[in-house]
Amino acid sequence: MHTLLTRICNGTGTMDDLALLEDLCSTVKETSLCGLGQTAPNPVLSTLKYFRNEYLEHIVNKRCPAGVCNMEAALEVVA
Amino acid sequence: MSVETDVKTLVIDEQEVSARAGQTILEVARENEINIPTLCHLDGLSDVGACRLCLVEIKGSNKLLPACVATVQEGMEVSTNTERLQKHRRTILELLFAERNHICSVCVSNGHCELQTLGQEQGLTHIRLPYRNPELSVDASHERFTLDHNRCILCTRCVRVCSEIEGAHIWDVMGRGINSLIISDLHQDWGGSACTRCGKCVQVCPTGALFDKSKIGSDHPKYPDFLPYLNLMREAQ
Repeated sequence: MHTLLTRICNGTGTMDDLALLEDLCSTVKETSLCGLGQTAPNPVLSTLKYFRNEYLEHIVNKRCPAGVCNMEAALEVVA
Repeated sequence: MSVETDVKTLVIDEQEVSARAGQTILEVARENEINIPTLCHLDGLSDVGACRLCLVEIKGSNKLLPACVATVQEGMEVSTNTERLQKHRRTILELLFAERNHICSVCVSNGHCELQTLGQEQGLTHIRLPYRNPELSVDASHERFTLDHNRCILCTRCVRVCSEIEGAHIWDVMGRGINSLIISDLHQDWGGSACTRCGKCVQVCPTGALFDKSKIGSDHPKYPDFLPYLNLMREAQ
């Protein structure tokens, strides 16, 4: 999950990564034995629910609307 | 007078089955020839519910329950093979494959591996997750067997068989989460440990993580079926 998020954040993520992230979150959430596992994916799932456009912006336009992410990796590809 | 057994009736995959109280869903399903995939469960050993592959859906409950540890209840309606479960099982298998270095083509258990067989059964064609490719050691210090951490899935069958059946308790789990590792004694070489060399752990290992040094190539079938028989004979004594 962390790898996928890092990839999205540095601008090298793809739409497949986003779908995989969602799948992974739901599996971890539903199949975990303990309460930690059942709730750990929640932050990712809620950001996906309420800030999906920001994820898309990162992936499609290689831009971080909040100005937080360092998109160097993506810019290197462009340059 | 005969002792009355508490009989529960339930529905598994639209099939009406009866069971004794205290039986697990997995036991009942297997008695009725309903297959539920498992990795950490092994007949004759205690269950830990760790692999999460035997998860089943219970009607009226949002939660998925591990069939190997969940006991039957009267009137339960169990589904063992819904689309949701299949999806989760595939993802879990993908996670297992991506976690360590499972390279079937060079593995001694190629063709006899429970992980590989399950992958095929569940229709796993590729791993979407990035492989972690961890650098893990191989312990070949034992005179008869080898432990290859690269192929270990941490099912803890070896830990349980050594402690419960052999009574030696050589194996244990070190570390947590992604850093977990099967260790012998207090993280000593297997060869220098108090191992009794019975080889039960090798037979119960679902993958090629524990294997016999005398076996070459992929000619390494395993025979964990001795356990229920052994338990039966011990109880009879």
